[in-house]
Amino acid sequence: MPGLRPVTYEQYALANGLTVMLHRDATSPVAAVMVMYHAGSRNETPGRTGLAHLFEHLMFKGSEHVPDGEHFRLLQEIGASVNGSTSEDRTNYYEVVPSNYLELALWLESDRMGFLPGAVDQAKLDNQRDVVKNERRQNYDNVPYGTAHETIAREVYGPGHPYSWPVIGSMEDLSAASLEDVRTFFRTYYAPNNACIVVAGDFDRNQAADWIGRYFDPLPRGSSLPHSALSPAPLPEDRHIVSEESVQLPRLFLTWPGPPRGTRDDALLDVLTTILSSGKNSRLYRPLVFEKKIAQGVTAYAEGKEIAGTVTIDATAKPDRGLGEIDLCVHEVIERLFADGVTDTEIEAAFNGKEAQLAGRLTTALGIAGGLATNFTLTGDAENFNREIARFQGITPDELLAAGGRVFSSHHVTLNVVPRGKSSLASPPTPPKMSYTGTPAKDTSAGRP
Amino acid sequence: MTARGAPFPPLDRTRPPAPQPLPRVILPPVQKGELSSGLRIRLVEQHRNPQVVLGIVLQSGASMDPRGKSGTASLTAELLDAGTGARDALEISESVEFIGASLSFRTGADATFGTLLTLSRHLERGIELFADVLANPSFPVREFDRLKSQRLTSLVEQKDRAASVASDAFMRVIYGEEHPYGKDPSGTEESVGGLTRDDICGFYTDHYAAADATLIVVGDTRMAEILPVLERTLGHWKGGPVRTPPALPPPPATPAGVYLIDRPGAPQSEIRIGSPALARNTPDYFPATVMNRVLGGQFSSRINMNLREKRGLTYGARSSFIFLKQPGPFFVSGGFTGARTGEAAEQLLLEIGAMHRDGVTDEELEFSRKGLAGGFALSFETPYQVAGALQTIVLYGLPDDYYERYIQNLASVTSADVMRVARSTLDPHAMAVLVVADANATRGGLESLGRGGAVMLDATGSPM
Repeated sequence: MPGLRPVTYEQYALANGLTVMLHRDATSPVAAVMVMYHAGSRNETPGRTGLAHLFEHLMFKGSEHVPDGEHFRLLQEIGASVNGSTSEDRTNYYEVVPSNYLELALWLESDRMGFLPGAVDQAKLDNQRDVVKNERRQNYDNVPYGTAHETIAREVYGPGHPYSWPVIGSMEDLSAASLEDVRTFFRTYYAPNNACIVVAGDFDRNQAADWIGRYFDPLPRGSSLPHSALSPAPLPEDRHIVSEESVQLPRLFLTWPGPPRGTRDDALLDVLTTILSSGKNSRLYRPLVFEKKIAQGVTAYAEGKEIAGTVTIDATAKPDRGLGEIDLCVHEVIERLFADGVTDTEIEAAFNGKEAQLAGRLTTALGIAGGLATNFTLTGDAENFNREIARFQGITPDELLAAGGRVFSSHHVTLNVVPRGKSSLASPPTPPKMSYTGTPAKDTSAGRP
Repeated sequence: MTARGAPFPPLDRTRPPAPQPLPRVILPPVQKGELSSGLRIRLVEQHRNPQVVLGIVLQSGASMDPRGKSGTASLTAELLDAGTGARDALEISESVEFIGASLSFRTGADATFGTLLTLSRHLERGIELFADVLANPSFPVREFDRLKSQRLTSLVEQKDRAASVASDAFMRVIYGEEHPYGKDPSGTEESVGGLTRDDICGFYTDHYAAADATLIVVGDTRMAEILPVLERTLGHWKGGPVRTPPALPPPPATPAGVYLIDRPGAPQSEIRIGSPALARNTPDYFPATVMNRVLGGQFSSRINMNLREKRGLTYGARSSFIFLKQPGPFFVSGGFTGARTGEAAEQLLLEIGAMHRDGVTDEELEFSRKGLAGGFALSFETPYQVAGALQTIVLYGLPDDYYERYIQNLASVTSADVMRVARSTLDPHAMAVLVVADANATRGGLESLGRGGAVMLDATGSPM
C-alpha cells in the first residue's frame, strides 16, 4: 500500500530458545529494548488472580546482581523511559535509552530474566502487594464505572474461562499470593524459550548481537509450554445486570462474544465498530448524541485477544435519561445497518483511519519494538506486523455484514451502571427484539440512516 | 561478532556495563515563513514517516475569559469545527474522518491550541479543513445549544472523578476566586449556564488574531510545498485586532491549612499539597527543574521511594511545577490508602520540608542533571514531540536557541542554586493541603498534622 513502509528487521534464535529481533533506524540517538514474555493473567489459576501482574512489579525490585532500587536508579540517571505492562496474554518490559546505553539495558533485562528468584523476599512481596492494591483502588475502585469491565468479563466468559477474571486481580487473591506462588510462576513462564527480545533504534548491529549473545545465551532453557487453543466465550443466554454505583450519569454496556485478535473477522469488526461510533456522522453517535441528544457519548470497540474476543458498545445517558431508550436506539441502529447495508465510503474512511493509526505506531523505536514483539508473541510470526494493514484491505460491504451478523446475532451481556437509588433508570430485563438474522442485505448501495 | 550458535565469551555481570560515547543530539533546523496576513510559520521537516502535525498557538487562553464567564475560551475553541460558512458540523466531521485525520482544539490557561494530524498524502485536504474552521466558523445556534448542554453534562460527570475534583479544587484554593488560574478552563455549571452565542462570537472576534498566532508544522513536507497551500487557504485570514492581554493579578498569599472534600466510602484519598510558585520565564527554571526531579519528578525520587517503595501507601506519588505565563503552582500529588491518609500527608510534608531546609546532595544534583540531559536526547523522536518543543518556545517567548543552550543551562545548575529555589518556593508552612477522601475516616489523621481542623469544601472547592 502507498505510504507506509514495511518495517525491516533481522530475526534469529539463541540456543536457549530466546527469539531476537533487531530493527535499525539511526534517525534519532535512541534505542528501545523490549522483552515480552508469553504469560499473562490467563495463565493464573482461580484463587491466585492478579499474580502475573504482581509478578511484573517484582521484576522491578532488583535481581541477583542488581540491588533493590537500582533498576530504576540506573535507568533514570540516564533519562531513560522505563515501564512494563501485563495483559491477559503477555507481559512486557521496556526501556528507551540514549543509544550509547544500550548495553546497560541488555544487562538489566538479562539479569531479571535469569536471576530473579534469589532476589525476591517476603518484604518486597508485601510492599508491592500494597502498591498493587493501591493501583487497583486508583484505576478501578475509586473511578466511576471502574469495575464495569471486570463485571462484563465475568459474565461474558463465565466461570473458569481464563479471561473471566481481571488482570489486576481481586483484593482477596492479592492478599493470598505467597513467595512460593511467585517463584513457581517465574520458573514456569519466565524462560528464554517463552520470550522474545526486540532492539529497535540507533545501534551497531554486530555489537548489539554480540551483547545479546553474551548476556542472554548462558540463561537456561525452561520447559516447553503447551500451545493454547482458541476458546470463545460460550455465552449460552442473554444476561442483564443492574449495578448501583457512585456515579452521576447512567451508563449502558452491551457486550457480545467476538473474534480473537489478528483474524480477518477481528479486522472486520474493528471497521464495523468504527463505522458505528467514530465521528459525529457515525451510525450510533449521530442519532444518540447529535440528533436525539439522549446520550452524552457513545463508543463501540472490538477487543480481540489471543484465544477469544468481545465486541462492546457503551453509551452514557444525559442526566436523568433512562438507559432503556438508549438500548432501544442502539438495537434499531444495528437493525438498520443490516437492512440498509454499509457504503463503500464508510469502509474507505475506516481504512484511512486505520492507516493513520498504524502510521502513528511507526513514529517511535518503542512503537516498532512493541509491534514486532506483540505479533511474534501472540501470532508466532513478527511479520504479521507488516501484514496488519493488509487485513484491512479489500473489505466488501457483504463481508463486513456477514462478520457483524456472526457477532450481533449471538447472545450478549447488558450491564446498566446507574446512580445509587436510581435502578429505575436501567434498561428493561429483556433486550429489544431485533428482526435481522445475520444475513447480509443484498442492496448495499442504500443511503445512510 | 561471534557467529550464531558459537559460544559467547564470558562477561562480568556483577556491575553495570560502562556506556559507549555519547550520541550527538542533532536538533532539527527550524525554517521560518510568514503569510501575507502576518501569520508566522515555523516548519521542521521529518521524513521518516508519511505524517504531518500542524498546530496553531493562539494567545486566547482561559485566563482571557470575561469576568463571571469562565468556560468562554474553551467553548469557543470547541465550537470552531461545529460549522463554517461552507460546511455544517456533520460535513466537517465526515471530511476529517474520511482522510483518517484528527482535528482538535484545546484551551489551557494561557493559550488555545489547534492541532491537525494527518498522513502527508492527505495534507492539502487536511489544511483546507483546518483553515476553514479556524477562519470561517459560523457558530450555528443549534450547535451552540448542543455543545453547551454537553459541556454542562461533562461538568456534572467530572464530579465523579476524585483526581480531577482534587486538582481543580486545589487550584481554586491556592489562587482564590479572583485569579484566572483558580478557575477550571471548562467553567462551572453556573458560568457555562449563563453563556450565550454572543459571548462566543465576541470572544472569537476579540481574541483570534493572525498576527498574534504562530503556525507550527512538523513532519513529511517542505516549505516550498506547504507555503502556497497555507497562503491559499489562510492568507486572507487576519482575525481580530492584536490586543495586549490584560495583566493578571498576582496570586494571593496561599491560605495555608487543611481542606477536605468528602467522598463517602472512598477506598483511596487524593492529596494535593502546594502553593503558587514560578512563571515559565523565571531565571530559576533550570534549578527548579533539577530540584523537582530529586524531590518527586521521577520514579526514583525521594517522595515516590518513601511513599510507594518503602511504605506501600500509593501506586505513585509525585511533585510538579507547572510553569505558566504568570507564576504557576508547585504541588505534590497522588492517591493514597484511605486508612492511612494522615500518615501519607505527614510524609509528603516532611519530604517538602527536608528539601526546603537542606536542598540536595552533590550526588543527587549530578543524578538529576544527568537524567534530564539524557531525557533531552530522547525528546525529539516524533513530530508531536518536536511540535511540542516549538510550541513552548512560541508560547512563552523563549529565545530561538533555547534548545541549543539547554544542556549547557542544565550543567550550570549548582547546589546553591537549588538551595535558593527550595528556600523561596517550598515552604511547607505556606502551602495548602487539599484532600478528597471519606471525611469521617480521615479527619482524625489530618488533624494530627497540627494544622488545625480541616475546612470542609464542596466538590467544586467552595467552602460549605
